[in-house]
Amino acid sequence: MRVEYINPFVEAAFSVLKEVLRIEIKRGELYLKSVSQPVLGVTAIVGLAGDVEGRVLFDMGEATAIKIASAMNGELMKKFDDLAKATITELANMITAQAVTKLHELGFEFDLTPPAIFTGDNMEVTDTGIEALIVPIEMEFGKIEINVAIREKN
Amino acid sequence: MKTKQDFPNINQRPPDGRKESGKPYRVLIVDDSMFVTKQIEQILTSEGFDVAATAENGQDGLEKYKELYPNVDLVTMDITMPVMDGVTSLEKIIEFDKEAKIIMISALGKQDLVKKSLLLGAKNYIVKPLDRKKVLERVLMTLKKQ
Repeated sequence: MRVEYINPFVEAAFSVLKEVLRIEIKRGELYLKSVSQPVLGVTAIVGLAGDVEGRVLFDMGEATAIKIASAMNGELMKKFDDLAKATITELANMITAQAVTKLHELGFEFDLTPPAIFTGDNMEVTDTGIEALIVPIEMEFGKIEINVAIREKN
Repeated sequence: MKTKQDFPNINQRPPDGRKESGKPYRVLIVDDSMFVTKQIEQILTSEGFDVAATAENGQDGLEKYKELYPNVDLVTMDITMPVMDGVTSLEKIIEFDKEAKIIMISALGKQDLVKKSLLLGAKNYIVKPLDRKKVLERVLMTLKKQ
């Protein structure tokens, strides 16, 4: 998978997270996975279809998701309830929209699905025929992994 | 300790959400995201606006606008929504009331749809992420523009 697909997502995640959370954010080491991998508990998924196809996951633990939702809503939230889910969905929306704008500027044309959230313990994701590139983002609320599996359509 | 009296100008400033008559501007928020609706509602009510109703899609927004009319001063309209999108809802509200003041709420990357909305009669737009200053500036600019 070409790294140029993932950079816009990482840059967009940095810019949006900094703007909405106003805290320090660090980028961890990028790594590649080609087999099934565990996901952290709260995952927003966005599908891509067009010149390129695949999916992007924004993956985090439930405690991190609740802290992010609390910060974005300006109130202490104790459960990952409907408002928290709507908040993480909107976060994924904003990051993806910004990344896609950059990818369109680079000449890639594709459409996106609206983000969906799935939650649960002991989940795994398996991509058939596409390697996933993962960029961990570290902050005081915990870790978000941006997990991108995209390929050019033949 | 500083008291309210130490900041007379701030405390005497009337809230932006009220008309000269003292009555609040009435706003309809149309957005399928509970988070965005709450965010806009908090910003507006903190300045004295009255959120007259909220709607989860363009169809619901159109119906609520007709129910509220003429007691509605402004609509904030998301672009991407299920059932009926924001651009279609805008078009139908303008058909019903050509004086309607509608602000489009857009994610980055929807410039074409924002342009189309402005041509169809939207008065302004705000690109997400939303912040208090940006929202109040655009809302007031739209309400005060004749």
